[in-house]
Amino acid sequence: MSMRSQVYEWSNLAPGTVAGGGVGSVLNRSQNDLPVQIPANVSTDIFIGGIGNNITKPAETTATQFIVIEDISCTPDLAGSVQVRINTTDYFQNPDVTQMNGVPGTASPYPRGAPSVNPTGTGANTATGTVITTFPDNLLKSFDLYPDIYVLPGQVFQILYTTVQGTGATQFAANTAGQVVSAFVKYTLYDGPDALIANKLLELGVTINPNNIDWYKRSLIEQQTRSAVAAAAAPTNGGGQ
Amino acid sequence: MSMRSQVYAWNGNSFAGAAPAAAAGDFVNTQAGIQTSIFIGGFGNNITKPAETTATEFVVIEDVACTPSLAADVATTTAGAALAVGQLAGWTVVAGTAMWGPRAYVQVRINTTDYFLNPDNVTNDGIPGTGSPYPRSLDFQPSFNLYPDVYVLPGQVWDVRYTAYCAATNWGTTVGNSLTNGNAHNAFCKYTLYDGPDALIANKLLEMGISINPGNVDWYKRSLLSAQGM
Repeated sequence: MSMRSQVYEWSNLAPGTVAGGGVGSVLNRSQNDLPVQIPANVSTDIFIGGIGNNITKPAETTATQFIVIEDISCTPDLAGSVQVRINTTDYFQNPDVTQMNGVPGTASPYPRGAPSVNPTGTGANTATGTVITTFPDNLLKSFDLYPDIYVLPGQVFQILYTTVQGTGATQFAANTAGQVVSAFVKYTLYDGPDALIANKLLELGVTINPNNIDWYKRSLIEQQTRSAVAAAAAPTNGGGQ
Repeated sequence: MSMRSQVYAWNGNSFAGAAPAAAAGDFVNTQAGIQTSIFIGGFGNNITKPAETTATEFVVIEDVACTPSLAADVATTTAGAALAVGQLAGWTVVAGTAMWGPRAYVQVRINTTDYFLNPDNVTNDGIPGTGSPYPRSLDFQPSFNLYPDVYVLPGQVWDVRYTAYCAATNWGTTVGNSLTNGNAHNAFCKYTLYDGPDALIANKLLEMGISINPGNVDWYKRSLLSAQGM
């Protein structure tokens, strides 16, 4: 269990009232979650940003952990983007080295295959026999996070979601506002000895992935085996004199 | 038969031995927010005892997935709005959720340890069905690949646990129950079962730090044979 594939999914959903929408953040999802408003052009940390499902403390690696972020994506609707921040440094930047919102959801959509604009209609209700029939397109990814992003031991990392358009203030009020948006991050957590090996691979300039960690372990075992054989053969070769 | 590719598909709506019943009273009203074992959770198709490996078995879990969900546009989030097209056709929006689908997650548990954690090392609900959908379609494709695989060592108990957060939902039937929202709560698990000598080899590969897959088990067998001069 020292190499583990992990995911974190965030949505702007938290308990509230049907009239007013969701409020703030929550540690555990519930069936009473409602969309929380997200202002336009404000970056929100999906871990501790105070909107939607959050965790108890900033995402960080301990001295014996190493994280490799392999994929990030978000809802393409509302011109959403996701940025990765390590300590205080944003990973994605413009060619002029200025700040940007990160990878757009249209390039790395979540869910994959979902429409670029959430299915729409006109206040349909099954009571009236009306149903939603629009499903504009099936968006696929244009972006692959390669090379991966490394979070070294002791570093703090954030995934920041930004929507250019913002979501609405109230839910179900005259059907005018309140969209659900999501962000998704897939990473591998290396812990204990595997984190040490990951650091070693980093020093060697070798890509950190489960295969290479296993390769390094095998090479250590082979080295030990060779040493043991050489030590056993030493006396017969006169090494004991 | 000592390496076998296996699957387990679970449907929270299906009840063994009978067609979905029509009476609302036949079903527990809601299971929202509660983790349920897809093997012995008491909902849908179940098996006779907890999933576990014997002393001569080794299981490698290669994929887990469940029913995806989709955000609704605000103009369509009136309670009862139903999606008519795509994979989630038949799901209706319950007042307030603004989502079609069950908001479902699957977690893998080995003995008493949950596999998927939040970055603060607190256990979470697991893989979202939206990230690892089952079934897969043009509408929903995987954002997640379970790699490295999850190993279940000999003698361990394992479980795949499903959690859904759709409100006012009856798990059971779409027939005769006005509270039922949508068609299916599905979960899926793909794994390889190594038995007998192959389980021993799997343990050996684990010691050696080599990924356990059928190719590497075969490679180890060939290397044993070649060491014997065959």
